[in-house]
Amino acid sequence: MANTKVAIIAANGNLFDAYKVFNIATAAAASDAEVGIFFTFEGLNLIHKEAHKNLPLPEGKEHFQEGFKQANVPSIEELVGIAQELDIKLIGCQMTMDVMSIEKEAFLEGIEVGGAATFIEYAKDANITLTF
Amino acid sequence: MDINANEVLDAKGLACPMPIVRTKKAITNLEPGHVIEIQATDKGSTADMKAWADSTGHQYLGTVEDGELLKHYIRKASEAETKEETKHEDVLDLEELRQKIDGDESITILDVREPAEYAFGHIPGAINIPLGELEERFNEVDKENDLHVICRTGNRSDLAAQILTEKGFKNVKNVIPGMNKWGGPLDKKK
Repeated sequence: MANTKVAIIAANGNLFDAYKVFNIATAAAASDAEVGIFFTFEGLNLIHKEAHKNLPLPEGKEHFQEGFKQANVPSIEELVGIAQELDIKLIGCQMTMDVMSIEKEAFLEGIEVGGAATFIEYAKDANITLTF
Repeated sequence: MDINANEVLDAKGLACPMPIVRTKKAITNLEPGHVIEIQATDKGSTADMKAWADSTGHQYLGTVEDGELLKHYIRKASEAETKEETKHEDVLDLEELRQKIDGDESITILDVREPAEYAFGHIPGAINIPLGELEERFNEVDKENDLHVICRTGNRSDLAAQILTEKGFKNVKNVIPGMNKWGGPLDKKK
């Protein structure tokens, strides 16, 4: 998968959403693909310094908490670390940050900040594009 | 069955995508041509290891199931194998090899792949000396017999055929392409 490019939009912020995004992203990067994720609206929770460590389960699905433990699924914190180690490009949406009045400093070190055009420019020659 | 690997990676108890993420890291430090054993309990890891190997160009050898434990074997690709240039001129194709096996004369087949590759399927009666050990172990092979050298794609066996010819073997044939196209009977290590 070298020479394969994956572009992901993460627009939702609960724990399920986070796993969908980071599992696919790290699997792709571990397979030698170039991966970039654009975090927008609630998706910004996934790279917020504090919020990503304690993401809520979707309403009515709280009972899955136990299942995550039993299956020994890595924490989102751990997956984010792996994502950064694998050089996955993390892009926070500037417009959402402005709307929600959050500064770049509230997010993980090493993220980029950009607008819709930044993502489009990145994704224009992607082989795989996914939205979560 | 008991399979030799150069490295063992413990990925037991880890859920997707961790087995492949760990494998990716471990294989970076592995010597090209060497084999890694990945121990996992994630049931999805068998399909994932195959797919991952296809994506990255490494060679998935097989999986041994031991109760809940899955032992996956992957061989790191090496650049020498992607070179197409062959130098040993005396070659034999798989069909000719099969005819010779079915014929009356007894023949010697030398399989120069890694022991783990050999374990997952080889031509019955073939002896196994990996290419990397051939310089020290060529004396184990009878010099007088016609010798048929085989690997997966014909590249390692080409190098082996050159080494053996240098060592004074007279009738060395490189079998092409190799085990990846072999449709005949296979023995597996029990």
